[in-house]
Amino acid sequence: MAFYTAVLETTLLFSIFVLSVYMLSGLTGLFSLGHGAFITIGAYTVGLGTTRFGLPIWFCVILSVVVGLFAGLVIGLPTLKLRRDYFLLVTFMFGEMVRALLLWTAQLTGGAMGLAGIPYAAELPVIGVSTIVILVFVANLKKTAFGRTCIAIRDDELAAQAMGVNVYWHKVKVFLLSAAIASYGGGLLALNMTFIEPNLFNWLESAKLIVIIFVGGINSVTGSLFTAILYYSFGEVFRFAHVWRDVILGVLVILVIVFRSQGLFGAWELSLTWISSLFRKIRPAKSGG
Amino acid sequence: MGSSVFYQQVISGISLGGVYAVMAVGFGIVFNVLRFSNFSHGGVVAISAYVGLFISWNIFPSFWMAFTATALLGGVIGLLVERLVFRPIRVAGKPLTYFFVNSITVAMVAQQSLSALWGHEYFPYPTFFERAAMLVGGVFVVSQTYLLMLGISALTLLGLTVFLRITKLGIAIRAASSDIYTPPLMGVNTDLITGVTFVIAGMLAAVTGFFLGMTYSVTPFLGALMIKGIIAAIIGGMGSLGGGVIAGILLGVGESLLIAEVGSSVTPIIIYLGIVILLLIRPQGIAGKLTTVKA
Repeated sequence: MAFYTAVLETTLLFSIFVLSVYMLSGLTGLFSLGHGAFITIGAYTVGLGTTRFGLPIWFCVILSVVVGLFAGLVIGLPTLKLRRDYFLLVTFMFGEMVRALLLWTAQLTGGAMGLAGIPYAAELPVIGVSTIVILVFVANLKKTAFGRTCIAIRDDELAAQAMGVNVYWHKVKVFLLSAAIASYGGGLLALNMTFIEPNLFNWLESAKLIVIIFVGGINSVTGSLFTAILYYSFGEVFRFAHVWRDVILGVLVILVIVFRSQGLFGAWELSLTWISSLFRKIRPAKSGG
Repeated sequence: MGSSVFYQQVISGISLGGVYAVMAVGFGIVFNVLRFSNFSHGGVVAISAYVGLFISWNIFPSFWMAFTATALLGGVIGLLVERLVFRPIRVAGKPLTYFFVNSITVAMVAQQSLSALWGHEYFPYPTFFERAAMLVGGVFVVSQTYLLMLGISALTLLGLTVFLRITKLGIAIRAASSDIYTPPLMGVNTDLITGVTFVIAGMLAAVTGFFLGMTYSVTPFLGALMIKGIIAAIIGGMGSLGGGVIAGILLGVGESLLIAEVGSSVTPIIIYLGIVILLLIRPQGIAGKLTTVKA
């Protein structure tokens, strides 16, 4: 039972990461290959705050979000003005830089040896509630005017700009929100795993977060979440197939993009009206209806 | 740092920079034609490093034969990637996003398959030459591998330049680089052009993979060294191949001098910070060719 709880915890934590990447890529079409860096930053802020400085846990979690936001500003402000590829490449470098920074400051962070002894404070209820809150937030953001504007930017930046949308600020806002969620998730990850190391999230992990979204469908939060849960719970249960599962995921991604590029779920969303419509069908249909 | 040590660092920096330059050009040539960041280049680099390793241990013990065979096979791998992964979505006219997603997927599949198969070991390349180092001008001791890397990188880039300037295919590739939509109207076969571009990129990736394998040992993570090529491409200005070459060499020299001066752990941090600052001041890179989103 404890094992399945642990699997559920990890799966939900990674779902938070996927949701944060979904917000960035699904809404604005920006890709961050350094999103793992925000997760690492959040994790290390919490880890260092609790073990080295003895700060209260709730304060560390808030601090991790603040530090993540600050890092997002530093990276986002100069690069979001440029062509999307620059953003992508700079975030890729940012991820490597954070790793190099952690290895360099080994005296404080423990370097390659990692950081152990973080209190175990993020249990299933905390993670579960966080996931649900973030899920509701992201799913609803998509429907707001802000979210729709972002989707317009994703589909045609030039057209959105011509309609008077401030593309740059929309991108900055979404990026910062996404970075904040990732850092928060990273903080929870540290409090859940109690041991962190610089290689926790390399570029490959960040790439996986993006790729998972495309399997489920860039237009569907449900699809992204479904794929994330499937992939990460599968990985935890079948640890022996750890490396091969990435190969399987990769082949699946290419097949999906070539043959069904809108993703497995397309634009379909699981919603309360859909669920209630299911029950309505079970009832005998009225004549002539 | 004494002046002789300094020059030695510069020379080894230039030769490593030559490899970065080849990487930047391989990355840039695909970017120029298809306008997406081709991360699969790193995957092809890693795969060809293993291919080169296998060939030089088992088939051709001579450096030249092994090198040529690897470069040719790299071209084949590049073509395979294009035909299997990129061509279907190109024909269907999918947005650039999907090209990018497919390219990171290829890099991921390459790295993870290699680590699943041979990930637990580090493989060295055979020693091709008896004399490891030679004296240049009676003063500097230079590793022969480095000189060879420098010479071959220069020749490769020169050959590519000649190809792009003189041959009909090369001119077509340059035409497609400035505008992919018009050449087909002039009777240029875009399918062929894209294929040839990926063959060239694959060959350049194989050259990189072979040299990186000789410099370091072969691991599945060799593809992640592509970040050096990407940095060079950014400094050079994305879309400018010449800028990428200069930037690659500058990066190599800067890196080896920094490593000698302040140590290998701070060097990457300084370089990455430098890139962010460069983008703030001069986003078009040193070559001054800014690629923008057009309607």
